[in-house]
Amino acid sequence: MPARQEPTSETTTLERTSGWRKFGRYTLLVVIAFIVLAPVYAVVMQAFKPGYAALNHPRSLLPVDLTTETVRAAWTKGDMATLLKNSLVMSVLVTVGVLVTSLLSAYAFAFLQFPAKRATFALFLATMLVPAEVTILINKQTVDSWGWKNSMTGLTVPLMATALGTFLVRQVFLQVPTELREAAALDGLGHGRFLFEVAAPLSRPTLGALGLLTFLTTWNQYLWPQSIIDDTEHRTLQIGLARLSNADINRLNLVTAGTVIAAFPIVILLIVFQRQLVRGLTAGAVKG
Amino acid sequence: MTPTAPARRRTAPVAALLAAAMALAACGGSDKSVLDKDTPSTTAAPSSAPSSSSPSASSTPTSGSTTESSAAPTSSQASSTSAPTALDSLPDCPIDALAAASSPVQITVWHSLNADLLSGTLAKLTDQYNASQSKVKVKYVNQGSYEDSIKKFFDTDPKQRPDVVQFPEYTVQNTVDNKAAVPVQKCMQAAKFDDSKFLATAKEAYTTGGVQWAMPFNVSTPVLFYNKKFFAQAGLDPEKPPSTLEELRDYSQKIVDAKVATYGIALESGFDSGGGWFLEQWFAKLGIPFVDNGNGRAGRATTASINNPEIAKALGALQSMINDKLASYVGDNSGTGFDNLLAMADAAQPAAMAIATSASIGSVLDIVKGGQFPSFQLDDVGVAAMPGPGKPGSIVGGAAMWMSNSGDPARVAASWDYINYLVQAQQQSEWGAVTGYVPVRTDANEIEPMKGKLADPRYSVAPKSLAELPAGPTSAGPIVGPLREIRLVVAEGMAKIMTGADVNATLADLESRANSLISDYNTRNPG
Repeated sequence: MPARQEPTSETTTLERTSGWRKFGRYTLLVVIAFIVLAPVYAVVMQAFKPGYAALNHPRSLLPVDLTTETVRAAWTKGDMATLLKNSLVMSVLVTVGVLVTSLLSAYAFAFLQFPAKRATFALFLATMLVPAEVTILINKQTVDSWGWKNSMTGLTVPLMATALGTFLVRQVFLQVPTELREAAALDGLGHGRFLFEVAAPLSRPTLGALGLLTFLTTWNQYLWPQSIIDDTEHRTLQIGLARLSNADINRLNLVTAGTVIAAFPIVILLIVFQRQLVRGLTAGAVKG
Repeated sequence: MTPTAPARRRTAPVAALLAAAMALAACGGSDKSVLDKDTPSTTAAPSSAPSSSSPSASSTPTSGSTTESSAAPTSSQASSTSAPTALDSLPDCPIDALAAASSPVQITVWHSLNADLLSGTLAKLTDQYNASQSKVKVKYVNQGSYEDSIKKFFDTDPKQRPDVVQFPEYTVQNTVDNKAAVPVQKCMQAAKFDDSKFLATAKEAYTTGGVQWAMPFNVSTPVLFYNKKFFAQAGLDPEKPPSTLEELRDYSQKIVDAKVATYGIALESGFDSGGGWFLEQWFAKLGIPFVDNGNGRAGRATTASINNPEIAKALGALQSMINDKLASYVGDNSGTGFDNLLAMADAAQPAAMAIATSASIGSVLDIVKGGQFPSFQLDDVGVAAMPGPGKPGSIVGGAAMWMSNSGDPARVAASWDYINYLVQAQQQSEWGAVTGYVPVRTDANEIEPMKGKLADPRYSVAPKSLAELPAGPTSAGPIVGPLREIRLVVAEGMAKIMTGADVNATLADLESRANSLISDYNTRNPG
């Protein structure tokens, strides 16, 4: 029954597709959406069940017996207010830090002339090839020796500069026409003002995407907080969630409820900044 | 993402990038090998660990100042056949330093009591301690599972470690070899601590080279949980639970035949329960050493003897129960720790029995009392000794309080003061009564609230079981450097056996893997 193949099918656009084709395409999308959303649905269902009902399969997946009791228990038992606060402060500080360091270093690499600039940049980029897990031990020892263990300083400062940020912003800066730089110089703009009044505003979409990405990755950091924090006051969400896992054999869905609480701010953030994220990620995609 | 620099500028940076990348990858490689090691990387391998090479028959660890050791109680060390270590060469316990300290000494305790009931009770005892005196201020921090805590402890610079840490019996040799601890025996001597009422098996579990290193605090042992209602419905005597594997099969058959429950027993393979710890219990019950050199107590163990025909027979019995649908296998239990217990309350496919640590008795009764499980009421819960091959009785699990070798006399003294408080009869009585852990001293059983609890047979099973095995190296459990790693490997093998792998082939494989873990450990830590 599928519509006969037209010779130009490779270039078919959505407007020109036949009804059947559209139907097939949407069926596929619905199936994929179901696969993606089913676990999310299951997590939300589990989180809003009392402990005993969470084990009662398959009834546990139906929207019955709903209660906020487990979420409230996770909130108090997990001390989620402290965890959320710590994660939020950490993510904001790191995001601001990354944006500032990226702007400054990218400026140097894009606009300034200094010896061995290209080699330095290559070396800079090469650090992206070293996974964080490799450097964590040394970083930890360094931070330990500075007495930054169990502190917000130790949590944030080592994450405040990234090669990826520098690279992304530099690429945008390279697009800024030399003429603009020269005109700004003629108008008496120094490095600082040119950076913050001309170059930075021009790279807003990239900065937005970089900021959002940094916020998300920092929010989800596990290894670093886990190795640098061992008291209760400075724990972040992801560490605290692991603690919930065997707090109460009576309520195995306590972790699920904690996960929902932890994901909530991120979901809000994504909904609000979705456009920036997509735009930023595709910004470099089309140009050569 | 590719660099989008103009083409003319591309080749040089790429070449430089490659060179730099190769250089960094080389460095990275060596870093990674450090990370990959399971064992602590921050401390060097010890060079002068317990090393008296001629095991003497003497049972008292005397080699230096005889005045101190004669004052120290040594009654419960009768079964120790280990070579005594020169206690003098070990870190000191300056208990007077606390009196000398001018301001309150702040110490940190890392614990792994995760269930609310357990952590809440430790918090209560610690708060009581803090309120009872003004010299020491204890801050307690939950570090997740023992595994999390162990990794974290050894990954931490020795100077920044907590003052007291709660580690299980499978960490003994490794912690000692890392020079991470001050032996509590030093403090016990200095304080003329009376340990005559202590469970010998609990002390032995934390003793190596003739030195007791840690103070057992939360002592547990595996017990059988069973549903008395199902027993009665199947025509079995609810007061006579199975004690051997043959009875276990027989009972399960009757329960399944009578269709009162889907399975006789729910089995699991967590490394610190059904996958490793319970198996070591069987070795003890059968009187078979798990490792050589007197179960690692007469000298450093060099080989494991996991591939034993009697063990193979017992495991074969369990496997056939799963094959015949008399037992269910719930998988690796170490995530939640209680999948097998939850199987007992499963509404659709319940099991009539499960084996779990006595430490969960308090939590289980607490939860069942809540009435959430219609099929399982408070009076239905039976607790009995763990069924298995060999003699009646079992060995300890749980954990002990270790004193970190911080080198700070005041903090070491404060740590001892806190530990001393935790193991007093009154505290142990409260601890055992609430949680189901076995008080580390028998006199705690004679005072309230534990005394009252023991009237409930469910609480008296574990203390009785721990007292039953005859003294000797196999009844104290194995001491071997990589016991933790061996258990993890054994748990993998147990999971395979439970899902149908050949028992003998699996045990042979486990034995060779355990042997290479031991020889690797011994090479790195020459004793």
